[in-house]
Amino acid sequence: MAWRYLKQVEGFWVVFRQMFKPRVTTPYPKVKRVKPQRFHGRHVLNRYPNGMEKCIGCELCAGVCPARCIYVRGKDNPVDEPVSPGERYGFIYEINMLRCIFCAMCVEACPTEAITMTQLFEMSVQGREDAIYTRSELLMSPDGVVPHPQPQSKFNDLGELTLADGWMRATAAAGRAEYQGIRHWTPTAGAGHRPPEQGQAADGVPETEEESEG
Amino acid sequence: MSDEATPGMVKITIDGREMQVPAGDLLIAAAEKAGTYIPRFCWHSRMKPVGLCRMCLVEVEGPRGTMLTTSCTMQVNDGMVVHTESDVVKKAQEGVLEFLLINHPLDCPVCDKGGECPLQDQTVSFGPGESRFVEEKRHFEKPIPISDLVLLDRERCILCARCTRFSEEISGDPLIEFVERGSGTQVLTFPDEPFASYFSGNTVQICPVGALTATAYRFRARPWDLQAAESTCPHCSVGCRISVQSSQNQVLRFQGVDVDSTNQGWLCDKGRFGFEYLNSPDRLSTPKMAGDDGLQEASWIDALDAAASGLMSIIDEHGPGAVAGIGGARGTNEEAYAFGKFLRSVVGTGHLDAQIGDGLEPRLLAAPADRGLIGDLEKASSILVWGPDLKEELPVLYLRVRRAATELGAKLVVAHPRRTGLDDVATHTLRYRPGAGQDLLRRLAAGEGDAGAALAALKEGPTVVITGLAGLTEGPDLAEAVAAFGRDLPDATVLPVARRSNVFGALDMGVSPALLPGRASAVDDGARATLSGHWGADVPDGSGRDTAGIIEGLEAGAIRAVVLLGADPAVDFPDPARASAALAGAELIVAIDMFESVSTSMATVVFPALGFTETEGTVTNLEGRVQKVSRLLPGPGGARPSWEILEDVATRMGGSIGATSAGVIATEIEKVAPAYAGATWDALNTAFGRDGIVVPTADATQPIEYVPVDRPSAPVQRDLVLHLARVLYDGGTTVQRGLSLAKLAAEPAVYITPQDAHRLGVADGSAVRLSGGNGSAELTARFDDSLTPGAVYLPFNLGISVGSGLEVELEALA
Amino acid sequence: MTWSQKTDERAQAIIARYPDPRSATMPLLYLAMHEDGHLTEDGMREVAARVGLTPAQVQSVASFYTMYKRDRTGRYLVSVCTSISCMLLGADDVLAAVSEETGVADGDTDEDGLFSVEHAECIGACGGAPAVQVNYELVEGVTPEQGKALCAWLREARPEVVLGDEMQELFGGQRSFEWGPSETAGAVGPFPAFEPYGTAKEGR
Repeated sequence: MAWRYLKQVEGFWVVFRQMFKPRVTTPYPKVKRVKPQRFHGRHVLNRYPNGMEKCIGCELCAGVCPARCIYVRGKDNPVDEPVSPGERYGFIYEINMLRCIFCAMCVEACPTEAITMTQLFEMSVQGREDAIYTRSELLMSPDGVVPHPQPQSKFNDLGELTLADGWMRATAAAGRAEYQGIRHWTPTAGAGHRPPEQGQAADGVPETEEESEG
Repeated sequence: MSDEATPGMVKITIDGREMQVPAGDLLIAAAEKAGTYIPRFCWHSRMKPVGLCRMCLVEVEGPRGTMLTTSCTMQVNDGMVVHTESDVVKKAQEGVLEFLLINHPLDCPVCDKGGECPLQDQTVSFGPGESRFVEEKRHFEKPIPISDLVLLDRERCILCARCTRFSEEISGDPLIEFVERGSGTQVLTFPDEPFASYFSGNTVQICPVGALTATAYRFRARPWDLQAAESTCPHCSVGCRISVQSSQNQVLRFQGVDVDSTNQGWLCDKGRFGFEYLNSPDRLSTPKMAGDDGLQEASWIDALDAAASGLMSIIDEHGPGAVAGIGGARGTNEEAYAFGKFLRSVVGTGHLDAQIGDGLEPRLLAAPADRGLIGDLEKASSILVWGPDLKEELPVLYLRVRRAATELGAKLVVAHPRRTGLDDVATHTLRYRPGAGQDLLRRLAAGEGDAGAALAALKEGPTVVITGLAGLTEGPDLAEAVAAFGRDLPDATVLPVARRSNVFGALDMGVSPALLPGRASAVDDGARATLSGHWGADVPDGSGRDTAGIIEGLEAGAIRAVVLLGADPAVDFPDPARASAALAGAELIVAIDMFESVSTSMATVVFPALGFTETEGTVTNLEGRVQKVSRLLPGPGGARPSWEILEDVATRMGGSIGATSAGVIATEIEKVAPAYAGATWDALNTAFGRDGIVVPTADATQPIEYVPVDRPSAPVQRDLVLHLARVLYDGGTTVQRGLSLAKLAAEPAVYITPQDAHRLGVADGSAVRLSGGNGSAELTARFDDSLTPGAVYLPFNLGISVGSGLEVELEALA
Repeated sequence: MTWSQKTDERAQAIIARYPDPRSATMPLLYLAMHEDGHLTEDGMREVAARVGLTPAQVQSVASFYTMYKRDRTGRYLVSVCTSISCMLLGADDVLAAVSEETGVADGDTDEDGLFSVEHAECIGACGGAPAVQVNYELVEGVTPEQGKALCAWLREARPEVVLGDEMQELFGGQRSFEWGPSETAGAVGPFPAFEPYGTAKEGR
């Protein structure tokens, strides 16, 4: 009856065979996969290099949002301490991340490149109300650092918060080949170089040495 | 289309389509009626054309070839051939837009107009797509406040002159004008002379760009997140159609809706910006009951029980005649009807009044003989305005009268104790000393002296006679006599006016001792019997007390309990101090209101009521036009509709008013009130729409004994008489609870002629003491040479009251 | 502010000439301007009250016309035409020269109130470009040097009445044509507003 056991050993053969193949899984969250360049992660509200907020509270993002998950209210800029250039700033800015479908229509609609998306996708929360991101969660600090939702976690990859999403890369000055290598304030968090996407590098221009970790 | 031309019509061809349009129409208007929209900025259908913006260029074929011409300044002619979509026109439109956008900043994302902007829309529809202009645009200081309500951004202005033309042509206070010239041209006020017009908000609405914005709406929302519902303005009895617009359960603005019969698109600033009180944090949201220190929050059950048992114990002890009701003129017809039915059938009292001692004979207001319509002003040859200063009390009616007098050439006779807003456009201005109006009327009727020319003008029919209470110290008799005089004029209609928003509806719903629902007379036994058949309860006879009588009854102890529905007699009664003292003596006051007020502070129970935009129903304006008001918002906290509160109290008293919903009440009104037959919600919502339904007066004309024209005025003993009249921005709740309007209320002052001032040793701006029938006050004296010598003027409800007696004394204070 | 009795009487007379008081706005603005030296806010208010307009409407008229001076204006108003003919023949240099000589920038007035300098749109002397006006009296064919000399002469000589013919003789170049006899009182002397034009007898 040994042939019966042979069938069982045959099952182990699959295991044995796989042991010598390359692994397809990654030990998430210790190691994270490289995400596509146009990955749509959580939103961030940007600032200008001088610390002014880019958001002018125009509500175009809220108007275009197909999931109706953005709530914005504008207000007169204080005369003495303006929050943003111009007359109006985003006084209330809330995104309900449970409703958001990460379509980036808000990014597309934004006339000042105030709202962009990062590559951060880990947004688990302990209550529904925590999923409503307000200005305090969305807005980058004056020095360009984006607040992380779980700052204490040792698995954080802060690099996720510094990479532009696809739309901005495709349209912003920093994403275009002719701007390659030019230090330029980008609409995403922080100033710095942005690697061009595939096919974007102009001929003869060397790739930028400073790759964003992502 | 037939070849036969209809009389008064001409045949024109627009883009190859032949059509008949009224002769004399402007091409742009005729084309729009025929379904061809010609883009425009400066042209507005309610104002004269100027041909400034050049956006409406079209090609018109003529004997000298086809030429570009502005369609807003071109009248249609028979056989005219017009092209609105030819290549030449397209090029012209693109050119005009490219020019307009040279200096227009592209700050649409932060502009209040962005999303509903004619410039945006028409640039997308007719514009060139891109501009060749790369130079710097012209710059001005970003919005400058040109009044407390309106901000001006000159960078955005495209110089269409709509605002300046409005203020000159329509409202008659041209405080904004073009300044400088060429590329420096801008709209501006004179330094230190703000655009303090009662109609300034209209310029914001008609501005085709975001150059004029309203402080009350600035940055509150964008057009696409507004919910809108059409409704009727709750601020006075003209009944302007408005679009109520809200976002996130907050009313954010009112816009005028262009209705031929009432407001023709315009609103006064009180109407336009008087929505802020609805969002006030002071709104009552829970019932309150009198406790040891003032009103305490209470549960609905406790409050309803207390109101019902309080009313019942007073009825048991003193009979139903010890209970009275005041109010109902602030809400809908349905609420007023529920109020009247509650008082008459459940309580069993005939003491109820919607006017607060400041109105006219209710039968004159509800169903006068020969009642006119506001629309009659359009074809009037002469107009007599003898009553309130329309600009202060019924501002949009003022606009309509002004239009008739300036635009349509009617002869206007204004009689008032002092200068009114209409005097500038009046053909004849008659002034009289308060109390001596009867003498002037007798002279006018006889055509004596300076009144002869006025009488001659008024004899040119058709005539509209607008009559009302000119001042609160004068009785309602004068208005009746004026109405009687008006009826005797050939081809005249009479329009009696009262100010409070739905006072006409409340009277039609029988909130008056003399009237039953549907304008039936309360002294008519047959009408009472019919009504008690409907209600299944006895209807008290017509001998009840009006508000003045109720105050007297409270003072005498004959009335012990008062139910207030949205009324504040302690402030609104012409003699507030007296009303306040009388109410303080009441055993029980049950108040249904949106806010705490002087009167509710004396109440035993206060119920929080839903207000405008929070209840659905109908209202009736001063010409008897029934219009719909819409519900858009839930209202604050535990506030409930007034009819529901009254029904709950009635149930606890062992009765019922059968009010299960506002719609049910409306159906009952239609059945019970004969004049309201046909004025159903369905009809108002669909067939009649924004014009509403004018409830006919003919069947219900009240047999009132008009005060004879030639009755002599009562003699006056003292040297000075008081003219006490309302101003637009006063101490009223709807003004004071809104941030924008509250600051517009003027400082109280007493106005005196220079002659009297000289006699009494009073200087302009000096402190004086004014003593009247009930109290005295120290205030500032101001000169006013428009008063008749011997008269002083005190604006009502600005915090100062000396009673409502005609005779006063004034002394200078050192 | 109220006007002097004389001015007031003149205003009454002017208003009486028209069926509608508002027609008198422009003559009254001249009156107000001469009353205060330039058109002040109070002056405009005064005119508004007299003709039954609002101050804003009067300001609109006053600001449209460049000859109503709403700022302090010097004794000699030098206007340099910078429209196309004059511009092509070097008006900008003339303007710069005039500014340099007087020390007054375009559109400004000096401290002492002697000179005001402005650039003007076409003053109708294209044939004699570049043209300059002093108190609206015309000088044609003015070079930058002549412009400087003209200003220096004005400062030195301080003529009571500025006359075009005199200045043309001293500082002018090519004329477009003979303009005919000039008003002996100077262009700003008589007020056409007070009397039918040409009958003015009074100097400034």
